[in-house]
Amino acid sequence: MTYVIAQPCIDVMDRSCVDECPVDCIVEGDRMLVIDPDECVDCGACMPVCPVSAIYGEDELPAEWSSYLELNATQSQR
Amino acid sequence: MTTVDLPMPLLGTDGVPRASQPQNAKEYASGQEVRWCPGCGDYSVLKAVQGVLPELGLRRENIAFISGIGCSSRFPYYLETYGMHSIHGRAPAIATGLAASRPDLSVWVVTGDGDALSIGGNHLIHAMRRNVNLTILLFNNRIYGLTKGQYSPTSEAGKVTKSTPMGSVDQPFNPVSLALGAEATFVARSIDSDRKHLTGVLRAAAAHRGTALLEIFQNCPIFNDDAFAALKDRDQAAETIVPLVHGEPVRFGVDRRLGVLRRADGSVHVAPVGPHNEADVVVHDAHADDPTAAFALSRLTSPGQMVCAPIGVFRQVQRPTYDDQARAQVDVSRDRHGAGDLQDLVDGTDAWTVEPPLTNPTTPAQTVRTEENR
Repeated sequence: MTYVIAQPCIDVMDRSCVDECPVDCIVEGDRMLVIDPDECVDCGACMPVCPVSAIYGEDELPAEWSSYLELNATQSQR
Repeated sequence: MTTVDLPMPLLGTDGVPRASQPQNAKEYASGQEVRWCPGCGDYSVLKAVQGVLPELGLRRENIAFISGIGCSSRFPYYLETYGMHSIHGRAPAIATGLAASRPDLSVWVVTGDGDALSIGGNHLIHAMRRNVNLTILLFNNRIYGLTKGQYSPTSEAGKVTKSTPMGSVDQPFNPVSLALGAEATFVARSIDSDRKHLTGVLRAAAAHRGTALLEIFQNCPIFNDDAFAALKDRDQAAETIVPLVHGEPVRFGVDRRLGVLRRADGSVHVAPVGPHNEADVVVHDAHADDPTAAFALSRLTSPGQMVCAPIGVFRQVQRPTYDDQARAQVDVSRDRHGAGDLQDLVDGTDAWTVEPPLTNPTTPAQTVRTEENR
């Protein structure tokens, strides 16, 4: 499991989640923040602090944003 | 006492059946929904353990995680191994029995500062003294989290909690110092948020044959947030964390400007290092037979607000384990006297049966020798 940041974050990048993450696994991708799935420990601290509700658990990611799972994985490795 | 000279196993996992296929971390995640508070340090420890277990290459059914009571003690639910969520403070006792009777198991204990150091303090020190082949993960968040925020045996003096409204008047334990005093053969410390370091120390602890005590600084974001803030803050960490590496001088700080130096009385202190005192910096020897130097390093940990702490392996020495020696004695006894019969032992040769009075209720109960009664 990992948490995933989806479309609502684009051009928002509030960064509350970055401060909240205990393992510093949230980094800047293209126009949005992304979560490194290898570093994410599934604690869920980021989800409630997101002002635009962009963060979902991998299993609850809405179908229309399913591509963000891979996007988070690739953009967090740069 | 019968002394037995047998070659002792060297690794903690020697004697545990190996998996036939390579494993991955996902195989060690159970289907259970993980229930800790969002942001809890326990998540990172779980992830690190799930990452190390496949490396050990053991059969999952030969791994047992025993926990006591507390937030950390939910750990066994989330691992696809055997385990037991046991009684408050008694995990080391249950694990001792398991390790002694089942050499084919890799036995782990998961406990917290309240479980291990308060109600279970007695069991913990004796497991370490006996050197039972266990890996003990002590999650130290310096608070009782499960019961919503009372001071624990590692809370700093003056700590205001629900049970100490005017501030705690207790002197806290330093778990590393305690373990060294209790003759532990492997004592280490790591931090939940430092995955790389935690993984390395977990690896070393699992490899150690004997009791490995690993204290993990673990943040409780709800009831004791930022208890380790100075150690985790990216800007401060270089000056507050003292990494211990066997065989290396204990240097740290920005540009390694600080070092640990020994005073004449044997205690150690942190000081700026320059050409004048570079040669005097303590070189860490985790394998020293005498724990005095390791103990001195453990005292660098600030007892109040955590502003300085060494991390890494403080001590790692080889000593025959309780379970290996006990099993060797059983083997010798078996060779000499045969397998024996447990019921015979229980019955003994001098057992008594207490019989109810037969006629007169005022007559005292009669005791009859079992031997004659048969």
